[in-house]
Amino acid sequence: MDISAPNRELRYLTGRKLAVFLAAADRIIPAFDSLPSGGTMTTAQVVDWALERMEPGLRKRFLALLTVMEIMGVAFGARPFSKNSAKARDRQLAWMESGPSLMRMGFFGLKNYACLGYYTREAVWKAIGYAGPARPDRQYPDTVIRALCRAEAEVAP
Amino acid sequence: MTRTMELDAVIIGSGAGGGTVAERLAPLAEAGARIAVLEEGHHFPLAYFTQREVEMMGLFRYGGGWPIKDGSITLAAGRGLGGSTLVYTGVTFRLPDAVCEKWGVPGLTPKDLAPRFERLEKDLSVIVPGDDMVNDNNRLFAEACETLGWEVKKIPLNLSGCEQEGFCNLGCATGAKQGAMAVQLPRAQKAGVVLVPNCRVEKIGRGKVSAKVSEPPPGTVPGPWEPGEVEISAKRIVCAAGSPATPGLLLAAGLEKELPALGRYFTLHPAMTLYGVMPHPIKNYQGFPKTYYTPRFSQTHHFYLETAFYYPFVSTKHLGLWGEDLARIMTRYANFMTVIALNHDPASEKNRIRLSRKGEVIMDYTIAKESVESLAHAQVAATRLFIAAGCREMVMPMAKKPVFTPADAGDKSLEEFISPKRFLPIKTPLSSAHPQGGCRMGAGPEDSVTDPWGKVHGREDLYVADASLFPQSSAVNPYLTVMALADRVGQKLVESADSWG
Ligand SMILES: Cc1cc2nc3c(=O)[nH]c(=O)nc-3n(C[C@H](O)[C@H](O)[C@H](O)COP(=O)(O)OP(=O)(O)OC[C@H]3O[C@@H](n4cnc5c(N)ncnc54)[C@H](O)[C@@H]3O)c2cc1C
Repeated sequence: MDISAPNRELRYLTGRKLAVFLAAADRIIPAFDSLPSGGTMTTAQVVDWALERMEPGLRKRFLALLTVMEIMGVAFGARPFSKNSAKARDRQLAWMESGPSLMRMGFFGLKNYACLGYYTREAVWKAIGYAGPARPDRQYPDTVIRALCRAEAEVAP
Repeated sequence: MTRTMELDAVIIGSGAGGGTVAERLAPLAEAGARIAVLEEGHHFPLAYFTQREVEMMGLFRYGGGWPIKDGSITLAAGRGLGGSTLVYTGVTFRLPDAVCEKWGVPGLTPKDLAPRFERLEKDLSVIVPGDDMVNDNNRLFAEACETLGWEVKKIPLNLSGCEQEGFCNLGCATGAKQGAMAVQLPRAQKAGVVLVPNCRVEKIGRGKVSAKVSEPPPGTVPGPWEPGEVEISAKRIVCAAGSPATPGLLLAAGLEKELPALGRYFTLHPAMTLYGVMPHPIKNYQGFPKTYYTPRFSQTHHFYLETAFYYPFVSTKHLGLWGEDLARIMTRYANFMTVIALNHDPASEKNRIRLSRKGEVIMDYTIAKESVESLAHAQVAATRLFIAAGCREMVMPMAKKPVFTPADAGDKSLEEFISPKRFLPIKTPLSSAHPQGGCRMGAGPEDSVTDPWGKVHGREDLYVADASLFPQSSAVNPYLTVMALADRVGQKLVESADSWG
C-alpha cells in the first residue's frame, strides 16, 4: 500500500481518514496481475477532487463513515481498521456489504468512490483494454482532474 | 437585491418535456408573448463533452448517482439545457397502444398520439439503424436471440450523421444525437423564447415563480440573466422539471391537500445491467451502443432486454463485485458483452415523492416483489443469451455464485441457481434512468393531479409537461412519450392563449 505524500494538497482525505480510505481501497480493488491495488495516493487524489464536488451533507456522512469504520475495526481484527490485516479488513468490508442497511449504504458509497478514483485513470484503462475517449485531446476547463487521471500530478513510487 | 419580472409564460426545465412545450409555444413568442425556459443546469457547448466519466459527472444531478430513500436504487438524471436528453442514448419507442389503453386517461388515445409520434420522429430524424451501425456486442446479441428462438428487433434511434464514437451518455461530442438541445430549444429560441440556464426555480406560487440564477461555471455558455434572485409573475407556469423534481415543486407549493395523488404512483423502470465475458475482446466501447432489443419477455415477465454499454467506472457499480472478483473481471473489460434489463414496475400509491424537513426531494420507493422476480428472471434469460453467444463467464448479482462459468450453473436449473431470494437491497445493484409519475394525469382530483392535457386540477395558471404525468409505467423507454404528452400540453396552451388574461 502506498501512502507517500501527494503533490496536490488533499482537502478531505486527511490524517486517519486517509489511512482508512487507502486501507479499504486496497481490499476493494486488490492488486491483480500487473495492476496495482486501489490503495494508492493516486486513487485518493481523484477521490478527494470528487469529494470537493459532492453535496456537502453526503460528503459529511462519507467522512463520518471512515471514522466509524476505523473504530469498528477492533471487532474484526483487534485493531483499528487501517491497522488490521488484509483478512480482517476483508471480514469487516464483507460484513458491511451485507449488514444493516446503513452499513450497506456506507459500503456502497465507499466502493463507488474507490472505483471512481481507480477506473477513471488512463494507466488503468490501458491495462484493462479500454481505449478511452475517441477525442482524447479535448480540453476540460479543470486541468487538475485531467492531470490526476493521467497521473501526471502524482505517481506513486 | 431581488429583481422582479413580468412574463406571459414560464417553463421550468428544458428537457424532453420543457423543450417540446417551448417549441410548441414558439408562434406565441413570435407574436410577442414573453416566454422563458428556466433551467437549473448549465448550457454545455459541444466542445465541453470530453467523453471522460469523471469530468462529465456535472451533466448529471448528484453526479449520476441520485439515491432513492432506502439507497437501493440510484438514479441517473441529466441536468443542463436539454435535460436528460443531453445524456440519453436516443432509443425511440412509441408508447404501446395497450399501455395507453391501460392508462385509461380520458381522450388520451393511440389515435391522438400517433400523429404526434410521427411528427416528432420526423423532427428528431429517427432511423432504424443499418447493419453498418451494429457493433460486436449488438451482433452477438442478435445472433444469440436467433439461436434461442427469441424475437429480436432493431431499436429506432434519433440520429443525424452519427460518427459512432459511443459516448452518448456523456453528452454527444458531435451533436449528431437529436434531443431537446439539438431540435426543439433552438427553434423556440429563434422564435423569441428566452433560454435561461443556471436558473433554479426555488418555489412556485399562484402566478408566481421564485428563482435563483447562479454564475456559469468555466467552459459553459453564460445565460442572458445576471446572477441573483428573481421574482417572476407569469400568467402561465409550466412545470417540466422532470420526475421527481416537478412533484417536489408542487408539494412545496402546498398542493398536496387538494390533490391527494400528488407525489404518488412514482415508478422507476428498475434496471439491472448484466455482463458476460467473451473469450476474446469485442470492444463494446466502440461503435453505437444500442441497436437491438428483444420484446420476448415483456408480456410474460415484465421486462425488456436491450443491448447496453457502460464506461469502466459505471460498470463497476453494475457488476456489484469487489475484491479479487472485481479486480480480475475488470481486466476482461474489453471482452464484456453487456445487456440491460428494464422492469415495467407496477404503479403503487405507496411509492411516492416526499419532501424532507429541509425541503429536499425524497424518492420513497420500495421495489415490488414482482419486480425483483422479474429481474431475477432477466438474469436467467441473460445467462442463456450469454452462453448462446459464447461467453465463458457471467456476472449475475442474484446468482448463487455471482461470477460463474456455464459449467457452474449447468447441472442445476438456472432458475434455482439465480434466485430472487438472493436479492438484498443496496447490495444487489439496481439503477434507473427512467423516473416517471408523481403528477399523474386523469379525470379528477381524487386520484390524479392534472387533467388529460396537463393542467393542474383546480388551477388555471399551472401545467405539468414532463415524465411525472405518466399515470403508470410506460413499459418502454419513455422520452418519446414525454415529448408527445408535452406536445398536447403545448397545444392546449396555444389554443387557450386568448384567455390567459
Ligand atoms: C443516461 C440516460 C439515458 C437515457 N436514455 C434514454 C433512451 O435512450 N430512450 C428514452 O426513451 N429515454 C432515455 N432516457 C430517459 C429520458 O431522457 C427521460 O425520460 C426524459 O428526458 C424525461 O423528460 P423530462 O422532461 O421529464 O425530464 P428531463 O429531460 O430530465 O428534464 C428536466 C430538466 O429540469 C431541470 N430542473 C429540475 N428541477 C429544476 C428546478 N427547480 N429549476 C429549474 N430547472 C429544473 C433539470 O435540471 C432537467 O434539465 C435516458 C435517461 C438518462 C439519464
